[in-house]
Amino acid sequence: MTAPIGEAAGSRREVVSLNRRLLVVAAVVLVAFLGLTGSILDNAFRQSLEQAQQDRLQGTLYTILAAADLTASGLRLPDALPDSRLSTPGSGLYARVIDEHGEIWRSPSLLGLPWEPEQRLAPGDTRFQRELAGDQPLYTLAYGLSWEDAGGKEWTLTVHVAEDLTSYQAQLSAFRRSLWGWLGAASAVLLATQLLVLRWSLLPLRRVAADLRAIEEGRAELLHGRYPAEILGLTQGLNALLSSERRRARRYQETLANLAHSLKTPLAVLRGALDRLPEAPPEALEQIARIDAAVDYQLRRAAAAAPETLAAPLPVKPVLERLLQTLRKAYPDKTLDCELRSSGEPVFYGSEGDLMELLGNLLDNAFKWGRQRLRVSITPLAAGPGGRRGLRLEVEDDGPGIRPEQAQLVLERGRRADEQVPGHGIGLAVVAELVSAFQGTIAVDRGELGGALFRIELPAA
Amino acid sequence: MRLLVVEDEPLLREQLAQRLRAAGYAVDTAVDGEEGLYFGREYPVDLAVIDLGLPKLPGIDLIQRLRAEDKRFPILILTARGRWQDKVLGLEAGADDYLVKPFEMEELLARVAALLRRAAGFARPVLCFGPISLDTRSQQVQIDGRPLELTAFEYRLLEYLMFHPGEVISKATLTEHLYQEDQDRDSNTIEVFIGRLRKKLDPDNRLQPIETLRGRGYRFALAPPK
Repeated sequence: MTAPIGEAAGSRREVVSLNRRLLVVAAVVLVAFLGLTGSILDNAFRQSLEQAQQDRLQGTLYTILAAADLTASGLRLPDALPDSRLSTPGSGLYARVIDEHGEIWRSPSLLGLPWEPEQRLAPGDTRFQRELAGDQPLYTLAYGLSWEDAGGKEWTLTVHVAEDLTSYQAQLSAFRRSLWGWLGAASAVLLATQLLVLRWSLLPLRRVAADLRAIEEGRAELLHGRYPAEILGLTQGLNALLSSERRRARRYQETLANLAHSLKTPLAVLRGALDRLPEAPPEALEQIARIDAAVDYQLRRAAAAAPETLAAPLPVKPVLERLLQTLRKAYPDKTLDCELRSSGEPVFYGSEGDLMELLGNLLDNAFKWGRQRLRVSITPLAAGPGGRRGLRLEVEDDGPGIRPEQAQLVLERGRRADEQVPGHGIGLAVVAELVSAFQGTIAVDRGELGGALFRIELPAA
Repeated sequence: MRLLVVEDEPLLREQLAQRLRAAGYAVDTAVDGEEGLYFGREYPVDLAVIDLGLPKLPGIDLIQRLRAEDKRFPILILTARGRWQDKVLGLEAGADDYLVKPFEMEELLARVAALLRRAAGFARPVLCFGPISLDTRSQQVQIDGRPLELTAFEYRLLEYLMFHPGEVISKATLTEHLYQEDQDRDSNTIEVFIGRLRKKLDPDNRLQPIETLRGRGYRFALAPPK
């Protein structure tokens, strides 16, 4: 009794949006580029800071030598040292002079600092390095020289000067703060710009989507926007496809109408001619009926447009109302009490012609067989992945009903139209055909009202 | 009853006209929508049979134009396609019933009779005025349960009078609605038919169902059904 047809299968893999792709790539490139730039700049600045440090230590060293006096008893420096920091313990600037035998002078600032460099350099050599005095990091400069004192004695001295990292680190961190601050701000601005550029560039695509939606909802016939050259080919192609599809559909319907007219009118003439005979040959009448039924069935089947890709959601209730008015006019002597059960605003995704064909045939059947009552139930079903909800249509009457063994025959599609069950025109076969085109199901049952209950379910999409 | 048949296929048009005339109707035929519109405007049409697939002016448009001009006679459409959309559009345009080709002539005649009866304001197929009853389905007239032999023309004449009970109907009106265009339109022949009808309906002049109003016309005088 039920004819399930097909099943919309298909797993949907999440596809990364163009927006996200471009943003991710832009962000990665930006971070890599700015990170590299930042670290190169950082490195260069550190090197220049160290160079400056070395120069400064060299200067201190020379001022110490300039102020020093070498006598036979040793190196003597004035109480007022050239750099006052050398006199202050823990000031951060230190100096120590050694000869072959040991220390001959140390700056008062060294008091309490465990820094006793013993390295001796050949005259003229310098060595700049970073070392630890206890736990305090220092930049140190050592310089070897030979000096003849007033007595003509040759001294081989090594002068060590050192400075702690306070100033170096202060400069470096100030530089880093501003460097990374600016780089960060630049990336933020660049990313924001990128985002705006993206939105602006993808705007035409969004417009295509909006235009397509407008076509779907029946608010437009074609894509109307003006599009940039890159997607003009696509949109023009779509427009051409849409209008040719529409032209084709119109031509098709016209052809069907003409075909129907040019086949049915001669049949009507033939029928009329037979009617005039005093005794019409029954086999001739029967053959005409067969041709008529076959033509009718095939034409109506061909006219069923089936689900359209760009179908606007068609509200079901107004169409039902129009059909009921037509039927009340066509069955003026039948006063059926028609009850409508529906929830929400059920919609049909297809052409008006198809919906009228589905409902019209079922209602006509109910009007034909119903005695007093008729019930139509319209129920929207769950939505599918494409956002289109399924639809259940039920038409029920209080007539004699359909016997189960007949139900099969009434609905079986693809049957030869001339084998229809008497009393049920080809209408129900057309309905079954349409339902299968929509990949839905149709079933016949006995309803609460006592007569036939036809139930159609159209799948979600 | 004056019927208008608008059908472009000559054979079918002729068949329809012949069959309807044989049933006692006066029939005018039009070959396309424009001619149909002309007849519909100019002639006292009681009912039109219109094919939907007409040249020049499509059937749907013809019906809309007629209704827009306040022509209220019933319209039966003939359609080649059994599509519901066509039926709905046809009836929404203003038609009253549809018939899908090919059809049985008997079916057409029954639909025409029912439409005419309903247009005259009778909900039931049998009209009862006193002892006279007229069955629009079988086209039978009975008096006190006795069937009456009437010609097709006599039946239409009686039907016309019974469809307008209590109204004064001039000879000219009767001629317009009952006579074929090419028939002898001498109004005196109406008197002859009325006389025959009276004799058949009321042989002993007891009921007097049809009154003559001098210089004005006739009136069906029996009480309408309650």
